[in-house]
Amino acid sequence: MPVKWVLYWQPNQGSTVSTQILNEAAQCAESINGVKEGRWKATLNYYKPMLRDQSNHPDLPRDFLGISLADQPSKYYFIIRSQRIVVEADATIQLIMEKLQSYKSKVSLYFDGFQYQLGDFRLRVGRVVPVHSESIRGIVMEVEYLPISSMEKARKVMEEFVEIWHEALSKRSLSGKFVNSELNFGEFGLADTYTPQHTGVQYAIVMAHMIATVQPVVRG
Amino acid sequence: MECVVQGIIETQHVEALEILLQGLCGVQRERLRVHELTLKSVPNLGVVSSEVRLLCDLDQQPEPTWTVKHVGGALRGAGADQISVLVRTMIESKVSKNALRMFYSLGYKLDHELLKVGFAFHFQRTAHISVSVSSVNKMPKIHAIDEAVPVTPGMQIVVVTAPATPENYSEVAAAVSSFCEFLAPLVHLSKPFISTGVVPTAAAAAASLMSDGGGTTL
Repeated sequence: MPVKWVLYWQPNQGSTVSTQILNEAAQCAESINGVKEGRWKATLNYYKPMLRDQSNHPDLPRDFLGISLADQPSKYYFIIRSQRIVVEADATIQLIMEKLQSYKSKVSLYFDGFQYQLGDFRLRVGRVVPVHSESIRGIVMEVEYLPISSMEKARKVMEEFVEIWHEALSKRSLSGKFVNSELNFGEFGLADTYTPQHTGVQYAIVMAHMIATVQPVVRG
Repeated sequence: MECVVQGIIETQHVEALEILLQGLCGVQRERLRVHELTLKSVPNLGVVSSEVRLLCDLDQQPEPTWTVKHVGGALRGAGADQISVLVRTMIESKVSKNALRMFYSLGYKLDHELLKVGFAFHFQRTAHISVSVSSVNKMPKIHAIDEAVPVTPGMQIVVVTAPATPENYSEVAAAVSSFCEFLAPLVHLSKPFISTGVVPTAAAAAASLMSDGGGTTL
């Protein structure tokens, strides 16, 4: 599977995230000869333990999430970031979780937007919105380098692409930038060869950064 | 959803059963070596207490594969009583190898574990039917697969299952039931928890099968 980096939009201090930034990013992709290929969508669910006695709280994770990825429609990925756990499962695992009734999905988010082909790269730019809402909470960007599956081997070419992207985007004078979280995949038991589990972990980290930033939101 | 029946057979008759199954199923047998872990939720977790099974297929290459399985309630009522097989909800999902660690983190504890060793046949006969014949083994120490010993020495369990849907479970149950009749000389199969013991004439049936490799009609 090709190496993929998942970047997120970090607004400057005092700035907000908005659809306008998403539109600028999409136009930027086209300005560097990106060919629009269609839409993409991913879904992320935050799970909360269901407790019979609210006053008695066993030691349970507060960052248990599940994600359904656009590239893997028959799979589902669980991540517990604090424990460095990532699990790949068939999509039917969601039915099992419903039957168990021990955890319920309390917050669900969509990532959706457009996909572009740029030579050997595939770019996806998308907004982060709560399900049943149009309030944009963030912007993510996936950069995929199709010829290579090794994280290490792809590093240099990915860094160069991201630099070109930053340069192209800087001409639009936006208040913020796309950031790539450096993370140690080895801590999650993941190897150098890229897999969808790597993508799941990156999304979990991106969401943690977005929540930590706690930016004000604007409609649409 | 699945249809299930099971029964017990003396280990000395397993070879004869294998010959019979080979003839009936028309497929190659597969080795079965599955480590089954039953996990239960810690107190206070969940609307109700819950249980989930993790199955590790130890014979897969290059490394063991894991499945999560949730077994739910059985079909009830007059209709269910008419059916000779158990029909129950069942959901399975393949998972990556650290699923056990994930469930431990989520507040599930190991309730008990077993090692099932034997063989299985998977074939199509109106429904997709699986027959497994295995010894059930317990471990003296946690996860000590290599030290597992039979729970009931000299006896093995035969389980016949077939996946079903709410729309087709009657047909699937009939297919399973019909298939089980062929095994009646060696093993009596019934709904789980309704034990009927071994077949008293199994020895004669087994001798017949072993003497001519299964060519005799029972």
